Amino acid sequence: MSRAYRITVKESDTRQLKAGDEICTQLEILEILPGEDMATLLKEELKKRGFEEQDDGTMVRKDGELTVRVDPCSGEVSVKAEAEETVSQEAKREATGFNDVGPSEKNLRERVKDQLKTDLDKKFEQEQSRLQNKATEQLEKHLNEIQPEISEIVNKVTRDALKQKAQQMGTVKEISEDAESGSLTIKVEV
Amino acid sequence: MTIATKPPQIPEPEGPRQVSKFEFNLLRILRFMVGQFPTDQGIQLVRASIARPDCLSAESVHLVKDTLAKACVLFLVRQGGWRNDKFLREGQPASGRVWNRIPIDERSLEFSRPVLDFLMWATAEKVNDTKAVWDASPKALTSGDELFFWMAFDAIRTDPDLLTVLRRKDVFRQNALCWISFPGDMVDGDETAPPDFAALFEGQRAVLLECLQTHLTQRWLRSERMKGQIGDWRRMRIQGRAEHAALQDFLRAARTHNRVDLARFVLWTNALLLTTDMTPIFWTGGLQGGGPPRLADRLETQRSALAMPRQMETLAAWNQQAVSIGYFDEGYQASQMWKAEWEMADGNRVAARAQAAIEMLEPLRGTLNSGISATGGGAKPTENPTDSPG
Repeated sequence: MSRAYRITVKESDTRQLKAGDEICTQLEILEILPGEDMATLLKEELKKRGFEEQDDGTMVRKDGELTVRVDPCSGEVSVKAEAEETVSQEAKREATGFNDVGPSEKNLRERVKDQLKTDLDKKFEQEQSRLQNKATEQLEKHLNEIQPEISEIVNKVTRDALKQKAQQMGTVKEISEDAESGSLTIKVEV
Repeated sequence: MTIATKPPQIPEPEGPRQVSKFEFNLLRILRFMVGQFPTDQGIQLVRASIARPDCLSAESVHLVKDTLAKACVLFLVRQGGWRNDKFLREGQPASGRVWNRIPIDERSLEFSRPVLDFLMWATAEKVNDTKAVWDASPKALTSGDELFFWMAFDAIRTDPDLLTVLRRKDVFRQNALCWISFPGDMVDGDETAPPDFAALFEGQRAVLLECLQTHLTQRWLRSERMKGQIGDWRRMRIQGRAEHAALQDFLRAARTHNRVDLARFVLWTNALLLTTDMTPIFWTGGLQGGGPPRLADRLETQRSALAMPRQMETLAAWNQQAVSIGYFDEGYQASQMWKAEWEMADGNRVAARAQAAIEMLEPLRGTLNSGISATGGGAKPTENPTDSPG
């Protein structure tokens, strides 16, 4: 007489998931002074804003899980977001077998285990995708936040460079700045 | 262009020349490939198979030679050879139509065995589904062969199955003309490996390129205008990357060989494209859905879409160099010619417009949201909606 039995298999796994996103772009630094001088001005301004100089000459600031890196020489800026999580997932499956027909209990168990492995992989893939979205959202949000600051840095460097250039050209008689309109007027006696 | 070494003449028959069914098909395929036969019927013939004979009759070989000679020359003349144009010749500007500028022995096309072998293979086999291998060494090809294979590829590439088969063959994959005309069709993945463009600036190949300047301008213009219809992010990225790589290599080779006049089509494509201020939506407006999950990939795709305007930076640098060349310096005539072309195309304004469009895509440049939208297919139009394609 055929007898049915049910097998329940549970599998769980813990993985360290990592996701990241990064954008690179070029700062719009005008060549008012020679490249080296412009780089120095940029470096000084970045230092004031919490950037730290690295061995390779780049300036880096970490804002939580985001890293902003600026190369003062080339004007290249990169913003990187990283997300890392330890994720545990569990999957459970049931299968029915018969003692006289079909696969043996051992085979059935193996088959269910394989299916569970696929289920777990899918779950981790979904988690990976979620983590990736999180990193990208963070990056997008941070880009919106950092954009005014980057503009300010570029404007400040340009203003400082113009002042230095004016001093090189002659005697600076008057400097007037309008913070609202962003205009800078320098009167130089040559 | 003419054939310098005329083949021995077969006496003209009283009626039409008699050819076998296979030869008839071969001749029709040839006529299709050189643009003298309807595309749909030509594609059908290329996709069909027919038993291959041991050899071709002298009559059919004569007709093949005749068709190649007349059709290729006609094509080159129509595409630009007839124009009273000016190109560099040994560093000096030379004016006139192609037959006025170039001596006959330098503009005589020669076709070799691989052309006939290819025609026989394409006639006998179902090109989209055949196990019979055919290819030819690109080094063994004459400039006439390369022109023919370029025309053949252009005719066939409208069929995706045939395109997939042909672009894997060295004879097409290493064809510089193919790469400079439709680089997006030369790749099927992210890897782009354009061939060496150096040969394109020497001898007869340079003459072919002179004739094709207007043709290439129109072709690129069409391609750029069609980009707004591309909905698939992956396809846009692949095409854009291939275009950027091919154009960069081509411009570098043109500069190295002092033949910047042969890159005129890049300047004119941009000039005809950027007639008004444009936003990147002109190129990326058709992209569907949110695109790749990573912002970096989305940005790269959108940057790739603007491969053609990006070349204006290189051309502007050429112009800067040309301006600095004095009357007694080497290359003065060539630089004057480039400056005249640049001014005629309003190069400074075009370069500024190209730069403005490119910068709109760049993050941290003040118009962030217009360039790298998280969900849309590219930059949102802030103004000037007239540049939207279609």
